[in-house]
Amino acid sequence: MFKKSIFLTAALVLVAVLSFGMVGAQDISELTIWWAQWSPADFLQQVGNDYEEATGIKVTVVQTPWGDFYNRVGTEWAAQGSSFDMVVGDSQWVGQAVTQGHYVDMTEFMTSTGIAETVTPATLAYYGEYPAGSGSYYAYPTEGDANGWAYRKDLFEDPANMEAFEAAYGYALDVPQTWEQLRDIAEFFYRPDDGLYGIGVYTQDDYDAITMGFQNIFFSYGADWQDGTFNTLGVVNSPEAVAALELYKELYSFAPPGTNDAFFQEMNDVYLNGQAAMIMNYFAFFPVLASDQNPYAESTGYFSMPAGPGGERYAALGGQGISINNYIADDRKDASFAFIEWFAQEDIQRRWAELGGYTCNIAVLESAEFLEIAPYNAAFAETMTFVKDFFNIPEFGRLLEPAQRNLATYVVAGEGDAQTALDQMAEEMDAILVEAGYVQ
Amino acid sequence: MSDTRIVQIFILPTVILLICMNIFPLIYSLFLSFTRFSVISDAPPEWVGLANYQAILTDPRFWNNFAITGRYALVSVALQTIIGFGLAMLLRTKFKGSGILTTLILVPMMLSPIVVAVFWKLIFNPSAGIFNYLLGFTNINTSPEWLGQTDLALWAVVIVDVWMWSPFVMLLALAGLSAIPDYLYEAAAIDRASAWFQFRRITLPQVMPLLLIAVLFRTIEAFKQFDLVMGLTGGGPGDATETVSIRLYKLAFQGQYDTGMSSALAYVILVIIIAVSNLYIRQLNKARG
Amino acid sequence: MAAQVAQTPPVSTPVTISTRVDQVGMRPLIASWVRGIIAVLIAIVMLIPVIWMGMTAFKPLPDAVSVPPTVFFTPTLEGFVSLFTQRRQLSAEEWEAMKQRTDLSWAEQVMLPRQQTIIGESQFGRQLLNSVIIAGSSTILSVIFAVLSAYAFSRFRVPGKDDLLFFILSQRMLPAVVVTVPIFLMYRQLGLYDTPLGMILLYTSFNLSFAVWLLMGFIDEIPREYEDAALVDGYTRLQAFRKIVLPQAVTGIAATTVFSFIFSWNEYAFALLLTSDNARTAPPSIPLILGTGGIEWSTIAAGSMAFLIPVVIVTFALRRHLLRGVTFGAIRKG
Repeated sequence: MFKKSIFLTAALVLVAVLSFGMVGAQDISELTIWWAQWSPADFLQQVGNDYEEATGIKVTVVQTPWGDFYNRVGTEWAAQGSSFDMVVGDSQWVGQAVTQGHYVDMTEFMTSTGIAETVTPATLAYYGEYPAGSGSYYAYPTEGDANGWAYRKDLFEDPANMEAFEAAYGYALDVPQTWEQLRDIAEFFYRPDDGLYGIGVYTQDDYDAITMGFQNIFFSYGADWQDGTFNTLGVVNSPEAVAALELYKELYSFAPPGTNDAFFQEMNDVYLNGQAAMIMNYFAFFPVLASDQNPYAESTGYFSMPAGPGGERYAALGGQGISINNYIADDRKDASFAFIEWFAQEDIQRRWAELGGYTCNIAVLESAEFLEIAPYNAAFAETMTFVKDFFNIPEFGRLLEPAQRNLATYVVAGEGDAQTALDQMAEEMDAILVEAGYVQ
Repeated sequence: MSDTRIVQIFILPTVILLICMNIFPLIYSLFLSFTRFSVISDAPPEWVGLANYQAILTDPRFWNNFAITGRYALVSVALQTIIGFGLAMLLRTKFKGSGILTTLILVPMMLSPIVVAVFWKLIFNPSAGIFNYLLGFTNINTSPEWLGQTDLALWAVVIVDVWMWSPFVMLLALAGLSAIPDYLYEAAAIDRASAWFQFRRITLPQVMPLLLIAVLFRTIEAFKQFDLVMGLTGGGPGDATETVSIRLYKLAFQGQYDTGMSSALAYVILVIIIAVSNLYIRQLNKARG
Repeated sequence: MAAQVAQTPPVSTPVTISTRVDQVGMRPLIASWVRGIIAVLIAIVMLIPVIWMGMTAFKPLPDAVSVPPTVFFTPTLEGFVSLFTQRRQLSAEEWEAMKQRTDLSWAEQVMLPRQQTIIGESQFGRQLLNSVIIAGSSTILSVIFAVLSAYAFSRFRVPGKDDLLFFILSQRMLPAVVVTVPIFLMYRQLGLYDTPLGMILLYTSFNLSFAVWLLMGFIDEIPREYEDAALVDGYTRLQAFRKIVLPQAVTGIAATTVFSFIFSWNEYAFALLLTSDNARTAPPSIPLILGTGGIEWSTIAAGSMAFLIPVVIVTFALRRHLLRGVTFGAIRKG
């Protein structure tokens, strides 16, 4: 009898547990979207609330910090899980997700509904198309984004500062036109004794932060990740790249203490607390700087990337498109398509832009209202004309690892020199590309 | 029901569960460690023999991971032993409120390591954290960045580990101390033996077996250490705190999904843990006599 | 190895009144005072991080990151409200409009100084619930299985007993990360990935190893004579087990329950890799509370507090059994 009661208890527990795990599997009254943790995801949640009002289907945006977002999605892919219906995935993911079959093919949907024509061609190519030029689409461009700069006008336009700067560097203090000027300004404002520092730059090595920050200089200096045939040797570690890396490390030496593991939050933090005279950040993070949370909101200006020695300008591409998870049931896929179709309408995209989302919709982008909505939108529009991305082949995650590690080791940890760091990176990337069959 | 039957029914659930959840995975990963395989792609495992093990044992980065783990384990366990034993000596004689004090000191080791790590990040923060202030560094330009400097990051992890686990050593040492028969000290007092002599000849040898158990447990835990390091530094800056567990996690999941290689690394770690434990156990048996 | 540890002769009861010759007189009394003061100081040092966390949980954002750190501040519940909600930054006009409204909920009023409005629930509430369900169920299961096995090991001749016991204990030596890859693959195949059931089974198996050891220690101490007498009185084995052994082992079962619960409650590595949304527990999500503007330390601290308080209470309740618990029951007296 005792045995019975024990097994009965155990069975009851198991049943309770099982039923708990099964609840809510079939009925499509809700959709789950995964995105990184940042304000645009809050805006998307708000748009999702509108969708619930319109259709009764509840939309939940689940947010994960940028540093862990890729790992979490990757784990879900590896598990072939169905935790999310849609994911607003980073531009670099497309290659991997498409080749390994994690995204639903949206070509038919995008063309037959005419949605492909409503977004700017550049964003469609970067966020939705794979392979490049194939006309196959796997994502609806949702958030256009790139790196830019915010700076303290009150400091830049202070007569005493302007005089002192001109005396020291021989030219007028203004928004930097070249990376050299940006360096001078950072050095000029580096006044640790007054609690003021010249600049804030990305240094985090979790996901892609330090690589993205470095890329801005790297591309502008004429360097590239590969030579067109996936050869990295002598390319990643070219003299231009070395000069760019040395500059990045020098910029970091003018940064506030404690920014050794810094990404967008830390950038905004050091700006809001008055420690940094200028910071790099994705445009998506500038809304906070224009809000009342920023004591310097009135005197905050924005500029796009300065030029390298050859006059070239590049900005690291951010931004994401929304894709549908291939491992969910067909009826959930249909429900997801319906959501995207609704979301892509012009008036919803306008609402999206008003909330603070960086729409990719041509009609909205071209409207005068958009350019005036926010003080940084002009710099954003300019930046989107010279964006460039990291590798977006399926192996990008493996390629990112040596980039992040070697950059952090040299810039943050201060070990070795720029040449060694890049030599090491080029070799490790080459090994990965050889193994993956891109290079013989 | 016969006794044999009872034994079977009582023990079976435990054994079956352990076989399914522990033995099967171990055998499966032993197989995978000889293959090239990635969980994220659909390609089946491809047999590569000892290639994974060879790659691990010849790669200086892996050796560096092991060296970091070893350094971390050694320093951390040594400090815990000294501090924990010191605390036990302080608290061995009862005084008013010593019971509650002992319990308060035990709080850190009951907490969740990952939450502890996250919180220590704020404490170590060079501008807003209190650690530097308590140490007397008030100028944030010259104060150390505990988690940001290569030469300090591992120490920062050690500090948190010691904070968390010295109480554990204390607990075991207290148990050992309370077991020492009083007549030993009485005899020593009659002989007018010095305090140092008493400590060296009576206290230490008597408490040694339990202290060694503490050291054994802590060493195994140090080799397994994942949560704390992951939460504090994630292996950084650069690879200054990249212990083998962190490396394994990165290899198995972060961006790389190199399942074959990571299974091989897992086995290497396992073998090392077993070897180290055996060394200790030999010492332990010697101490017991 | 463990088997040898377990064979340590039972340690005598701790002596509370000193009989030592050298402890009579003034000097030792002063020495004990000095000791007490040093011990109090150390306890304070040990507790500063915990106290600091408690304070930060109630700090408004600017105080949480102020340089130098603040000790005095006006407490707010912003951190706790942030923990359980999703919020959106308001524009200046929207903010003004919000301030004029009188129908704001309690939580919205708390968040008003941050210029934020609440747009939905966060995942944290559900994750805490998952933690309770998973830790609770796995604790119940592992204690049931462990009581049975411990009794069998303690009272009967089990073939290969020492080997089996060592095998059970050795499971605790496996680093979690080492076994995750195959378990991950196995769970994917069985559909157990990201399910509460999967996590419950996993935690049960990991808890079992020490639960068996711990309970064996307790059951070994119950004199066999009681059972023998009951058997003579016509009880069956099972009746004797239920009516004699179980009531005697109640303290042990309670201690085992709590230790199993703490392990499952605190576990991070498996939860990080084997759950994603459905079955995600609180530990892997606490490091992910970062906020969208600046790092929201008060929210992180609030999350940590909400998570740690039960464990702190339990530590106090349990202090007599701590030693056995942390050493897998290998050592008898605490």
